[in-house]
Amino acid sequence: MSTASHALPSPRLVRTAIVLGVLLIWEILPRAGIVPSLFLPPMTTTLQMLVVEAPIYARHMLVTLQEVGIAMIFACGGGVLCGLAIGGAASARQIMLPMFSGLFAVPLVVLYPLFTAWFGIGSESKIIFASVYGFLPTLLGTAAGVQTVDRQFLIVARSLGATRMQKLWHVYLPATLPTVLAAFRLGGALAIVGVVVAEMLTSTAGIGFLISKYRTLLDSPRVYAAVVLVLVLAIAFDGLVQVLERRLGIAQQQSGRSVGKRSVASAVA
Amino acid sequence: MGLKAVVSSPSPAFSTDESGAVEVTNVGHVYETASGTTEALTDISFRVETGRFISIVGPSGCGKSSLLMMIAGLVQPTRGTITAGGRPLVQPDPTRIGVVFQDASLYPWLTARSNVEFPLSLRHVDHKIRRERAEEALDLVGLAGFADKHPHELSGGMKQRVALARGLVQDPPILLMDEPFAALDEQTRLTMGDEVLRIWERTRKTIIFVTHGLSEAIHLSDEVLVLTSRPGKLVDRVSVDLPRPRSFEVMGGRRFEELRERIWQRIRS
Amino acid sequence: MNTATVRNTGARSIPAPVARAALVAALIAVWQVAPTVGLLDPRLLPPPSVVGPMIVQLFGEAGFRGHLATTLLETLVAFLVSVPVGFIMAILIGENKYASDIFKPLVFFVFSIPKSIFLPLFIFAFGISFHQKVAFGVFSTLFIVMMLSFAAIESVRRDHLVVARSYGATRMQTVLRVYLPGMTPVLLEAIRVSMIFNFTGILLAEMYASREGLGNVIEQWGQGFQLDRLMATIVVIAAIAIVFNETIRALESRCEHWRE
Ligand SMILES: Nc1ncnc2c1ncn2[C@@H]1O[C@H](COP(=O)(O)OP(=O)(O)OP(=O)(O)O)[C@@H](O)[C@H]1O
Ligand SMILES: [Mg+2]
Repeated sequence: MSTASHALPSPRLVRTAIVLGVLLIWEILPRAGIVPSLFLPPMTTTLQMLVVEAPIYARHMLVTLQEVGIAMIFACGGGVLCGLAIGGAASARQIMLPMFSGLFAVPLVVLYPLFTAWFGIGSESKIIFASVYGFLPTLLGTAAGVQTVDRQFLIVARSLGATRMQKLWHVYLPATLPTVLAAFRLGGALAIVGVVVAEMLTSTAGIGFLISKYRTLLDSPRVYAAVVLVLVLAIAFDGLVQVLERRLGIAQQQSGRSVGKRSVASAVA
Repeated sequence: MGLKAVVSSPSPAFSTDESGAVEVTNVGHVYETASGTTEALTDISFRVETGRFISIVGPSGCGKSSLLMMIAGLVQPTRGTITAGGRPLVQPDPTRIGVVFQDASLYPWLTARSNVEFPLSLRHVDHKIRRERAEEALDLVGLAGFADKHPHELSGGMKQRVALARGLVQDPPILLMDEPFAALDEQTRLTMGDEVLRIWERTRKTIIFVTHGLSEAIHLSDEVLVLTSRPGKLVDRVSVDLPRPRSFEVMGGRRFEELRERIWQRIRS
Repeated sequence: MNTATVRNTGARSIPAPVARAALVAALIAVWQVAPTVGLLDPRLLPPPSVVGPMIVQLFGEAGFRGHLATTLLETLVAFLVSVPVGFIMAILIGENKYASDIFKPLVFFVFSIPKSIFLPLFIFAFGISFHQKVAFGVFSTLFIVMMLSFAAIESVRRDHLVVARSYGATRMQTVLRVYLPGMTPVLLEAIRVSMIFNFTGILLAEMYASREGLGNVIEQWGQGFQLDRLMATIVVIAAIAIVFNETIRALESRCEHWRE
């Protein structure tokens, strides 16, 4: 049972070593010819593409960012509002929540062909698909959070003679803020994935479009470079929301231990 | 070592039957964790004769549970030796020692009967015998009619009765109980105390009973062991010379108050 | 979760299941009426009266049944690989404190990054094939399986293990009789949620590049404006997903009290 933990390097160190090791392997395997560079182009070659092709990536990234931005407004805004409405009203909650969580099981990607038929292959179909994609989990997350607003809070507030506005401002808002932010984090991540996936499937512009275009040209360094860009975008967004959470003094509830049902969905597809 | 002077001389052996005797000699225990070491117990020595009812009291964190775990063979002492039934314990031996824990710790997926049968089924005891013995044990704790209920269908007191039946089912000569009724309400605790006494009088097992309740300890036992904390030391052995059965009058009497006062003083010192 | 508290919202309230059924019926009615009265173009939104018979027709076509079989087989194989592999990896990591400290943050990180964008890499590696679909399905599912398995392992109560040990359970007995039943509720949830990820991954892989499978046909029918067929297939896919999900959920609620 008793491990001689003092003799082992710190987990953080090992983790850093693993990450560096993976990057090193990414560089060495293709260079040494162990893995064909069509399958895995060396890391430096990939990153080089980002510099050489910077204008192209930038142009398409801009398209993607625009679509993501609008989709986030619909997905997060709509999801949070509907979530607050449904979660706040007991009867709506009891009727709708099981339906929505049942709907959650449906792979929403299959709706995309329908959207392209309806709205064409331009930005609209991407925005709508990504909005729908991010909407449901955001709604579920928010509703679950509102549900848990402590009744005790409200009773205390009422006993102190708080007005309706005061209750909203001092009780509901602070109590739901962590959940709303968590839902935003999830909805935003899904909006990014939704836009990029839609672009990959059928489109004429955007980072996802580049991924697919270079894929058919078997130009793997450019494919990898675009994939790296999307990863950076996703990680940057997540980091931003985390900074926001910390600014607002919201304790990290999601990391590590309890993988709440909300964050579970955060990597759909 | 100076302790020995304080501790009243061990009571004379009542019987020469070793089967239910527990002997703890110079036992100490140190927990090693990432944040450092905790000396839970130091230099504990006492002997319990077969068929005696012993209580252990002491402030929270003084090592009562640790001591019981060591007697049960669940934790190995870092210093000293422990024998049960005249032989040392290197691992848990349910035929020698039964254990009842604070929260009943029943398996929620098994019925009351199957929970009681659990120790027997681990040793592949024949189905028919298993059933008979479980029935007997449930009968003994007054739960004959509830064999097919699951734990969530039972009250707190009933759950503890099932746990007690599980501890008794292999008919071990020694029964260890760690604050078995701490989670119950006052009334249930009193009836459960009577229940344990009734069973003890019928089966004449050696019982070592950890509790926070001084009255409960005096009410039940032949002798009360008093521990103090940081690290846990045995500071007193108080013989309870009240006649049995211990009626209400006895429990409210002068001698009772004296004993209580003495134990209380020792704990505080 | 707590269907017991569903009632009692007021004297005149109708039971939630009835309200739910009414809501679904109303939605279907709107879907039927809007295109028929000319509110929407019925070619763009074929009403249920068209989609329903189309489902029957599709099941009559050998071609469609073949696509369905392909998708289900890919999904099944990917699932049968990713769930046990993810579970065993989670046990190996979760059982050891040091390994947990090292790997859990890494698994959490990989879990949280989008997987779909890696789809082209699977085509580079495996070509457009059955293997590529299954490999991508496994890749999309593995990390959620691991995350939920960590939760499952943690959900086993320590005192249950102590009881087993105090009654002399062997290691094998502890695994089979305490760990496994103790984890079952969370494990069922893991299976349910993993299947969502798995099914999505397979369908996406088929939509992206393939010659067969439901994902492939909906992509084709969407581009060919055969929206009656497209809608019918979407309904079939949704039905499969919901039936699987609700079946597991029913099992979960049967052992709900195990969580106490
Ligand atoms: N597994 C463990 N690892 C590290 N320290 C422990 C462990 N178990 C107990 N301790 C420490 O040992 C000391 C004694 O703990 P123990 O649980 O035996 O006390 P106790 O008398 O039973 O307390 P209580 O009355 O609250 O049940 C405490 O300081 C506790 O923090
Ligand atoms: Mg204790």
